[in-house]
Amino acid sequence: MALGGAAVPLTGCELFDGDKPKPPDPLEPLAAEAADLAGRYRAAIAAASTLADRLTPIAGAHQAHADELRRVIGRPAPSGTPAASPTVAATDPDGLLAELRQAEQQARENAAKACAAAPAERAAVLGSVAAARATHLEALK
Amino acid sequence: MTPRTAPAGPTQALTDALAAEYAAIWAYGVIGVHLTEAARTAARSAEAAHRTRRDALILQLNDSGAQVPADQAGYALPYPVTDRASALKLAVEIEERTAGHWRAALPHTTGTDRNKALAALTDCAVRATRWRRTAKVTPITVPFPGRPS
Repeated sequence: MALGGAAVPLTGCELFDGDKPKPPDPLEPLAAEAADLAGRYRAAIAAASTLADRLTPIAGAHQAHADELRRVIGRPAPSGTPAASPTVAATDPDGLLAELRQAEQQARENAAKACAAAPAERAAVLGSVAAARATHLEALK
Repeated sequence: MTPRTAPAGPTQALTDALAAEYAAIWAYGVIGVHLTEAARTAARSAEAAHRTRRDALILQLNDSGAQVPADQAGYALPYPVTDRASALKLAVEIEERTAGHWRAALPHTTGTDRNKALAALTDCAVRATRWRRTAKVTPITVPFPGRPS
C-alpha cells in the first residue's frame, strides 16, 4: 500500500510555528517610503498644477518602485499599515520642489544602503531604485 | 541598449562593464565633435568620468588576477552620427547601455565593490537624464535605470 502524494505534509514549521508572525522583510521600510513618496508627489501636483509635467513621471516612478518592491517582498503590506495619504507643507512651487528634494535625498541614501546590504538576487532592483532617486534630484533642479 | 545576457560571475560582470566603458569613451569622441558650448563641455566631462571608471576597472581586474581585455580599435555606430540631434541621441543611449552593465554587476559584487558599481550605475543614470534634458526628450527620467527593457 502506498502512502502518498495526496497526504498533507506535517512539517514542524507549519504545525507549531503557524501562529507566529513572520519577521518583517528588511525591504518593508523602503516599499513604504516609495509609496509615501508617490503620494507626496501627487499632493505636490495637486497643490501646484504648473509642476504637473515635471512631477507626474516621478510620481509614477515611485509608484512603480513601490509595486516592484512589494512583488520582491512577496507578501502583502503588513496589516495595520495605515493607508498612505502623505501631505506636503509648502504651497508655492519653489517651496514644494525644495521639500521634494529633501525627501529624495534621504530616500536615495536609504535605497543605496539597502542595495549595499541586500542579497545578490535583490541587488539589481535596489540599485535601479537608488539610481532613479538620484535622477529625480537632477530633475528637481 | 542594455545587456542581452546576464554575466555568469564577477569577473565576467566587471569585464563586461569594462567593455562598455571602452565603448563609451570611444563614442564620446564622436559625440563631442557635433556639440558646442555647454553640451560639448558636458561631453568632455562625461568622457573623463568614463576614463576614470575604465582605469579603476583595469586595476581591479588586474588585482583579482583576471585577464584584462584590450580596447577595440573602433566600434560600429548604431546609426550615422552627423549632427547635434544624433549626437545627443547616442549620448543618451551610451549612458543607458553602460548603466545596464553596471547594474548587471551588482548581484556579482559585495561590500565596497558593490558600492562602486552602484556609484557607476547612478552616475550613468544621472548623465542620461541630463542628456535627455539637453535633447528636450521627455520624460527625462526612467523608473528603473539600467534594467533591460
